[in-house]
Amino acid sequence: MSYLLQLLVSGLVVGSIYALAALGFVLIYKASRVINFAHGQFIAIGAFTVYALVVYLKLNVWLAFGLALLFTALVAFLVEKLFLKPLVGQPIISVIMVTIGLASLLDGLIHLTPFGGGNFSLPRFLPEGGVSFLGVSVSYPQLLAVLLTALFLAGFGWFFQRSTLGAAMRAVADDQMAAMSLGVSVEHVFALAWAAAGITAAAAGFIVGTVSGINLESLVAIGLKVFPAVILGGLDSIPGAVIGGIVIGILENLATGYLDPLVPGGGTAEVFPFVVLLLVLWFKPHGLFGTEEIERV
Amino acid sequence: MRNPWAETGNYKTSYRQDTAIFATYLEMLSLWALVALLLVLPFFLKRPQVFVLDLILVYSLAVLGLNITTGYAGLINIGQAAFVGVGAYTAALLAPSLPFWLTVPIGGLAGAVAGGIVGIPSLRIKHLYLAIATLAFQIIFEWTVGHSTILKQGGAIAMPRVEFLGYKVGYKNHYYFWYYVILLVVVLLAFAFRNLLRTRYGRALVAVRDNDRAADAMGMHPGLTKIFAFALGGFYAGVAGALYAYLSRAVVIEDYMLPVSIKFLAMAIVGGLGSIVGSFLGPAFLVLLDLNMEDLANWLKSLGLSYAGVDIASAMRPLTFGLVIVLFLIFEPRGLANWWRLVRNFFRNWPFKY
Repeated sequence: MSYLLQLLVSGLVVGSIYALAALGFVLIYKASRVINFAHGQFIAIGAFTVYALVVYLKLNVWLAFGLALLFTALVAFLVEKLFLKPLVGQPIISVIMVTIGLASLLDGLIHLTPFGGGNFSLPRFLPEGGVSFLGVSVSYPQLLAVLLTALFLAGFGWFFQRSTLGAAMRAVADDQMAAMSLGVSVEHVFALAWAAAGITAAAAGFIVGTVSGINLESLVAIGLKVFPAVILGGLDSIPGAVIGGIVIGILENLATGYLDPLVPGGGTAEVFPFVVLLLVLWFKPHGLFGTEEIERV
Repeated sequence: MRNPWAETGNYKTSYRQDTAIFATYLEMLSLWALVALLLVLPFFLKRPQVFVLDLILVYSLAVLGLNITTGYAGLINIGQAAFVGVGAYTAALLAPSLPFWLTVPIGGLAGAVAGGIVGIPSLRIKHLYLAIATLAFQIIFEWTVGHSTILKQGGAIAMPRVEFLGYKVGYKNHYYFWYYVILLVVVLLAFAFRNLLRTRYGRALVAVRDNDRAADAMGMHPGLTKIFAFALGGFYAGVAGALYAYLSRAVVIEDYMLPVSIKFLAMAIVGGLGSIVGSFLGPAFLVLLDLNMEDLANWLKSLGLSYAGVDIASAMRPLTFGLVIVLFLIFEPRGLANWWRLVRNFFRNWPFKY
């Protein structure tokens, strides 16, 4: 029983990382119908920026975190302005291909920094140990991960419900034409959606850094794990992204706990989410909360 | 008056004329001249150069398959390398017991089956979701190979040397022999594809890409057409994989992973999506670029651009592939094939414009 609980708790931690990453992904998709294949690279940029600021410039961790959020948001913003904007009006295939190209391009750029290969870990800034309840122990970094995710989700929830910008973004997601005619700058909203996605990606990267070590490959892999999460939740649903992320995280840990002993070599966590993805696509393609597209000729 | 040798204007009066593969004898002649040139080319080249030609042709085959799914049917495929891998591993498993002229088509069939299975969701969903399905297939493929003892967990599986007409193909003739095999397969499959595009099935692909609701209303089945596109693309990929396995004499998982899929996409985009000529120009461009990458990296190093902990060579590949994809999409979305088309159209009516 406590084994199961332990798996659930660590699944929740991993899941909250996925939830944050998936949130940014869905923001872009909702605003501009672009599937962003470069999301993992944004996560990596966020994580490595924190690391560089803390280790090379000896900044306070939280200050570094704040700066990394801004920096990644700026990168995402510029990416939208430079590469996505020229393609407005082009077929959706080109737009998606551009994000695939961007993923490769950003990969190459990260390889030009010292972070291309090898493992890095943030210096420890939280006390050792953790809390335990019901026989389950939760380390402080794990606790921080869940709390930080909750904080970010609440913040974004507030932003979308209460702020003018958030309302404008929701309006564009709902009906671009109508939003435009009411004076919302759609261009502006697209760029903002990317910047917001950059922020969540950087936050996800930072959390990975606090919970475990960071290396380029695993951070990019998180960018790919976003796909099962958003497909499960429904591509255009923000609550769906969060729930999908957490469910995928938990499923992944359950797979590690219960399936790994059955499979020679183990490592089922890497592939299990994608099997779930295919099953969802086969049986419930619009996910748990996605809107089904009804097409009229 | 229609001139059978040079087009002097548009004199087509029937669909049959419009869909003819060759508009003029000159076009037919120039294509055969190209094939003849390719046939004699190896006699003038050294071994490594022939190997480069082999690579370009094999990649062209895979990109041709990708062009079927992505270019003509409009379904983004981020798992082409996995389909190529299915063909390669099938060939690797069968090679000890079967001759190569059987394992190559069987590899193609295995790729087709994989393509059909990945395409199943297209019965219900549209291209955005399908792109993600192909990505999932790529990852599941990599994991499965990495965990199969029979496939050496992704490590190198050696391919046997083949025998042909009682003659064993050895070290010296390896690249030359496979050049002709690959050339034959490429010519056959490219012609098959060109012909397919004139038939109802080929045109259904384009119709479904352009507007699947309209295609549905006209009696085509969009879902089945998409599955067909995936299966056909998978077949080309599988054949390419089997040939690549023989050519490189070993099957390693690194040749069939996600970055390779992105390389195929880059080739298709650079060449021009939805173009057969582009399926050859793109791979040629990127293979030649790839060959010069090492020199480029060394040159950058000599400029003093290298610093501790950074491997410029490993950064160059993703960087250039990404850059090439992005730049072509923004500035020349129709790819190199469009340049080819412009040149050809200039000469089409030249010099008899009457």
